[in-house]
Amino acid sequence: MSDWIKRLIPFASLIALCVIIAVLQPKFLSTGNLGSVARQTAVITIMAMGMTMVMVSGGIDLSVGSVMALAGITGAFALAGGAPTIVGVAASMAAGAACGVVNGAAITTLRIPPFIVTLGAMGIYRGIALLVTDGKAVVGLPTTYGYLAEGNILRLIPVPLLIVVTVALAIHFLLSRTRLGRYCYAIGSNVEAARYAGVRVARYQIIFYLILGALAGLAGAIESARLVTGQPTAGEGYELRVIAAVVIGGGSLSGGQGTVIGTIIGALIMGVLANGANLLGISSFTQQIVIGAVIVLAVTFDEFQRRRLETARS
Amino acid sequence: MATQESALEMRGINKSFAGNAVLVDVNLSARAGEVHALVGENGAGKSTLMKILAGVYHPDTGKILIDGRKVSFARPSDALASGIAMIYQELSLAPELTVAENIFLGREPLSFAPLGIVNRREMNERATGMLKKYGFKIDARTLVKRLSAADRQLVEITRATVEAKRVLVMDEPTSSLTAHEVADLFRLIRELKNRGLAIIYISHRLEELDFIADRLTVLRDGRAVYAGVWGEISRTEIIRHMAGRELKEIFPLRAAAKGEVRLRVANLAREGKFSDVTFEVRSGEVIGIAGLAGAGRTELVETIFGAYPADAGEIHLNGARVHKAQPETSVTRGLGLLTEDRQRTGLCLNQSVTRNLTLANLRSLARGLWIDAKREKVAAQEQIEKLHIRPPDPDKTVARMSGGNQQKVLLARWLFAGSRVFLLDEPTRGVDVSARSEIYRVINQLAKAGAAVVMVSSDLPELLGMADRILVMRRGRLVAELDARKTTQEEILRHAAVDEEESQVSSFRFQVRDGAMR
Repeated sequence: MSDWIKRLIPFASLIALCVIIAVLQPKFLSTGNLGSVARQTAVITIMAMGMTMVMVSGGIDLSVGSVMALAGITGAFALAGGAPTIVGVAASMAAGAACGVVNGAAITTLRIPPFIVTLGAMGIYRGIALLVTDGKAVVGLPTTYGYLAEGNILRLIPVPLLIVVTVALAIHFLLSRTRLGRYCYAIGSNVEAARYAGVRVARYQIIFYLILGALAGLAGAIESARLVTGQPTAGEGYELRVIAAVVIGGGSLSGGQGTVIGTIIGALIMGVLANGANLLGISSFTQQIVIGAVIVLAVTFDEFQRRRLETARS
Repeated sequence: MATQESALEMRGINKSFAGNAVLVDVNLSARAGEVHALVGENGAGKSTLMKILAGVYHPDTGKILIDGRKVSFARPSDALASGIAMIYQELSLAPELTVAENIFLGREPLSFAPLGIVNRREMNERATGMLKKYGFKIDARTLVKRLSAADRQLVEITRATVEAKRVLVMDEPTSSLTAHEVADLFRLIRELKNRGLAIIYISHRLEELDFIADRLTVLRDGRAVYAGVWGEISRTEIIRHMAGRELKEIFPLRAAAKGEVRLRVANLAREGKFSDVTFEVRSGEVIGIAGLAGAGRTELVETIFGAYPADAGEIHLNGARVHKAQPETSVTRGLGLLTEDRQRTGLCLNQSVTRNLTLANLRSLARGLWIDAKREKVAAQEQIEKLHIRPPDPDKTVARMSGGNQQKVLLARWLFAGSRVFLLDEPTRGVDVSARSEIYRVINQLAKAGAAVVMVSSDLPELLGMADRILVMRRGRLVAELDARKTTQEEILRHAAVDEEESQVSSFRFQVRDGAMR
């Protein structure tokens, strides 16, 4: 029963938040604005779903923002060179996946904490992106590419939203119904126990980072489509928002906990907060304070629940 | 209980959690200078009762009296202030601090009180003095994280003796200790008795209690079903009070029918842990591995399983040589390892029985990418029934289960994985009496069905009751192979102990071994 309550609270908070903002500023509920929210949160949400997998397995990846940029400009180069949209996106995802594999391989072979490895990777990938583009935006992308970020399916549903839903279904399926997902939770819960149970821990850890990298690449492709250029400075600071989304949604930094739905709600809470604050004219500085407070509150509440369950057992 | 005033009296203690009555009208009296044994199966309420005493929980009704005065504790520090110290089963030392720092944690001798500057020299001297007096061979300046589990337990005990003024509660204090250390501990306990401390001693090891217990209270299902002087009733009767029924044949008999060699180990060695180990196990056999702590038994089975690489020697499984053993290949080849420390290396504590149980063999439940949840549930139910796992709820979080049931879940993991060769490292450590006998029953069934079992154990009666042959390790070498039907505890110990002193002390520990357990 308590599991359901745990999942319901973030969702209820989100609804409550939406209601409050809608009452104060009815424009919030306009299709244009909601579409805007969807578009703005899409990039973070997509990466957050990959991050959910990595964090559930007990890891973390601080380099997602940089991977997004590096993968984004890779795709941009392909598109500027005349490749069709689908190839551009594939190139982005491949580049992201490659970065993810490097991260995963470094973590599993060097046996250094993921926090440290990806902290270094964050600088390295960003540096490569800046070096390769000489710090300048990649231009010459076909204008039709912008459809990926600004277009609508059936006149109503933003393309990025569709992509988010597809990714969400895929990751949810992976995490909850496949062996991959099962091993993910097991490794995050007790990596030694997983090893002794015969799970190929290193191999799966690399796969989780690979998936996150690929999704960061996808996010980079969408971000490039927003401005129809490849920006080597894209995604700066995104890693913390991505991690915050997972954590607000119930994911634990120590692993073994977290769900796709929770992460989406976490990302939406942050996105709605930002959007609402803009509509209400609240400065972005205040927004930062509020988001910080929300993160702490969400995690405190989560911990409180966990402890109450533990004392109730004996 | 009348002539002297009890140092501690708990009267009419009732406690319920979420509607479940955990303690019902429990009385416990402990006198100064006496050891009061508290026994009962897991889940009987011993921990809850002690946590009430320690101020961690509040009783719903009932009184606690210290030296005849009523006390009530709002928090654990109140209990401490009243002179009650606890040694928990889960150790609570700070690994990054030294032994001396841990012993005096919170009451460090100060060289300049206003600034709180610690007098390190005095602290080390006093700690060294205490350790020497108790006969513990531990250097007060070592970091706790470098100590073995046994030494950590001794440090924990030392720390509690500093805190305890009236009552000391010890929960399974000997679980990680060798016979030698247990003798030291008992000497310490006698000294604490002379000091006038009332000691409450919780243990499953009835044979140990023979050496130190003065009184006994038995808890069952939250009630005190027996209270009296130690020795008034026999061991069988104690067990009957604990379990509520006769436990015949704790070691079920098994006819020996051996088949082919399933596991063969030749000159196996791992630098610094063990060397030149050679033995074989046939299908239908149970091999016991005895030895003192540190003899290399756990390291041996871990190496056979492939958790760590061997430095020399060969492993043959089902007739085929294993090159570069790894846990994943061991599992698919039908080798299972029940690790020594189920919390650290066995269970995913925050997960359900089902998930823990199926972890080693998810491929049998997978159809393409996805896991057949229905089949999984059926498989889990099957194992739950087969092993009498309680509560029989496949979605129960394992963290909330008793040690015995947790162990059964892990055993079920290997059964479900189709293992044919089992490496069991201390399979009944921290497991209560009735769960133990069930685990023995399962092991025997496995052997009867043709599995080959290797059982590492520090419980000699267990080895003598379960094994066909007993291998003895000493300081990393295999020094003896004994016929379990013909050997005795003394003979095993003689091989296991390094010198005369250790051997004598070990026999001292097990002298009165007989009766109900065999």
